Amino acid sequence: MVLEATMICIDNSEWMRNGDYAPTRFQAQADAINLVCGCKTQSNPENTVGLLTMGAKGVRVLVTPTSDLGKILACMHGLEIGGELNLVSGIQVAQLALKHRQNKNQQQRIIVFVGSPIKHEKKLLEAIGKTLKKNSVALDVVDFGESDDGKSEKLGALVAAVNKNGNSHIVNIPPGPAALSDALLSTPIFTGDGDGGSGFAAAAAAAAAGGLSGFEFGVDPNLDPELALALRVSMEEERARQEAAAKKAAEDAAKQEKANGEDLENGVMMVEPVNTSMMVEPVNTSTPSKDDRRHDLTDDETALLQQALAMSMDDARPDSEAVADTNMVDATADQDLAFALQMSVQENTNDTPDQSEMSKVLEDQSFVSSILNSLPGVDPNDPSVKDLLASLQNQTEQKKTEDKSEKEGEK
Amino acid sequence: MSCTHDHDCEDHNCAADWSLYKHINLDQVTALNESVAGSIKSVFKAWDRRLDNSEGFLESNEGDPELLVFIPFTSDVKIKSISVVGGAEGTSPSKMRAFINRDGIDFSDAQNMQPVQEWELTENLQGILEYQTRYPRFQSVGSLTLHFPENFGANATQIYYIGLRGEATQLKRDAVTNVVYELYPNPSEHKSSDVGRFSHVE
Repeated sequence: MVLEATMICIDNSEWMRNGDYAPTRFQAQADAINLVCGCKTQSNPENTVGLLTMGAKGVRVLVTPTSDLGKILACMHGLEIGGELNLVSGIQVAQLALKHRQNKNQQQRIIVFVGSPIKHEKKLLEAIGKTLKKNSVALDVVDFGESDDGKSEKLGALVAAVNKNGNSHIVNIPPGPAALSDALLSTPIFTGDGDGGSGFAAAAAAAAAGGLSGFEFGVDPNLDPELALALRVSMEEERARQEAAAKKAAEDAAKQEKANGEDLENGVMMVEPVNTSMMVEPVNTSTPSKDDRRHDLTDDETALLQQALAMSMDDARPDSEAVADTNMVDATADQDLAFALQMSVQENTNDTPDQSEMSKVLEDQSFVSSILNSLPGVDPNDPSVKDLLASLQNQTEQKKTEDKSEKEGEK
Repeated sequence: MSCTHDHDCEDHNCAADWSLYKHINLDQVTALNESVAGSIKSVFKAWDRRLDNSEGFLESNEGDPELLVFIPFTSDVKIKSISVVGGAEGTSPSKMRAFINRDGIDFSDAQNMQPVQEWELTENLQGILEYQTRYPRFQSVGSLTLHFPENFGANATQIYYIGLRGEATQLKRDAVTNVVYELYPNPSEHKSSDVGRFSHVE
């Protein structure tokens, strides 16, 4: 997460027409630059990136360091190829552009793509490197394309002259089937000086390696965390519902002899996703007042209790839409999500078998208390819980409003 | 433009005088062409530790004796004099040029700009020499930049201590940082009577 201003020097000399990198050297370079820009801007929101071209008619600054990624990517269009590479001028202009950056707190870095032969002397490059080091500018060099026998040595000397505690790197990419940008992903240019950037690099590498379906549900959690979360939650919820249906079928056979009775405890539950909180809210069947009781459930208990309560809810509350008035204490950003989940759970549980079995289930106090005991948040010695069990046992018609009107949630 | 202390330093409390280092914003101190990044911070310390090099010292890169030191302060200060302790064998700086209240100066700027004041330094291994400033020019200093272009012949320049003497005010000379520009005035924000207004905005 280093705060950095970066100038990227693009090689658009004649040697970039060659096709030994697919589709052309220039295109491969452009893809790599797009990735670098994204990586830099993502690792720290205050990072700025600028572009300049070194070939053609001379050094031309396309965009001065800015944090607006769209503007940077737009400048990559319509670039012409031609002329010769002016490496030294390019680096000097880049240094000047960095010197006039708006935020003086940013570290200065230049990334140079060199695909054509270098006509400068090694001494000159070393002198340039010393100037960069003196002004504490870091330099990364991507050596690709042409590889005549002085080039790597000259570039190596340049980077060695600039290097201070490993802040400058040189990367050599030979032509091959892999794209230039993919080859760069694992290099220190992307992974930074050991910190930062690696999240982006890892995600990009995963996407490149496995195609878009490298992620669960085909959605990148980095790109769209809410969508990924919603997909995951609905998967779990669907799984729980199916479990509940299966269990219910088993329970129906086992609990045929339960007597009819009134159920006092209805609830709407949320399957708990990993990160968001969820709550179980028993709602008074007769009164619209809400009983704010919240529990944390695991999936197994959820399925069981969900089945039990949903049936009773269906039985006693035809107007179940009032249940929709749930209280979400901890649903911070996911309130809509939780609400939608609740509604879907409700709908799922509305088509449940007849009431008698469900009431019988609730009638069995031992069963209910065993459920409640297994809930991590419920203390069976709590007076309110005891009252509920007592009322369940009595099978009375009247609803005890004093239970239901307690407002405090239990965790 | 240098003077020595004409008293016994143990009696007179020199340490109290040279206390401007306390008002330096040490996190933001930077130096260009230092061989060890961050070593500049070890150069600002109390007067009685001026000869103590146990925590490192500022050294320029091999073969290049130029140094540029940027010193921001936590509040505006008035600087009376500056003391510099250099290294032996020609590594002491021989010239010092000062710039005030400019940040982001690099070597090309420093070489081209006219400094607020410049001094010829001599070797000051014991730290008893101080260089007085033209005091009226150093009245409200938010940041001080010192440029040492040359030394006494060594390959690299070493500085063990930079001391500043003066006073600190409590003010801070900051540019306006929080500005909102309005294209049209918002009448609800302006309280004025109807009398005297030419146009009435509902």
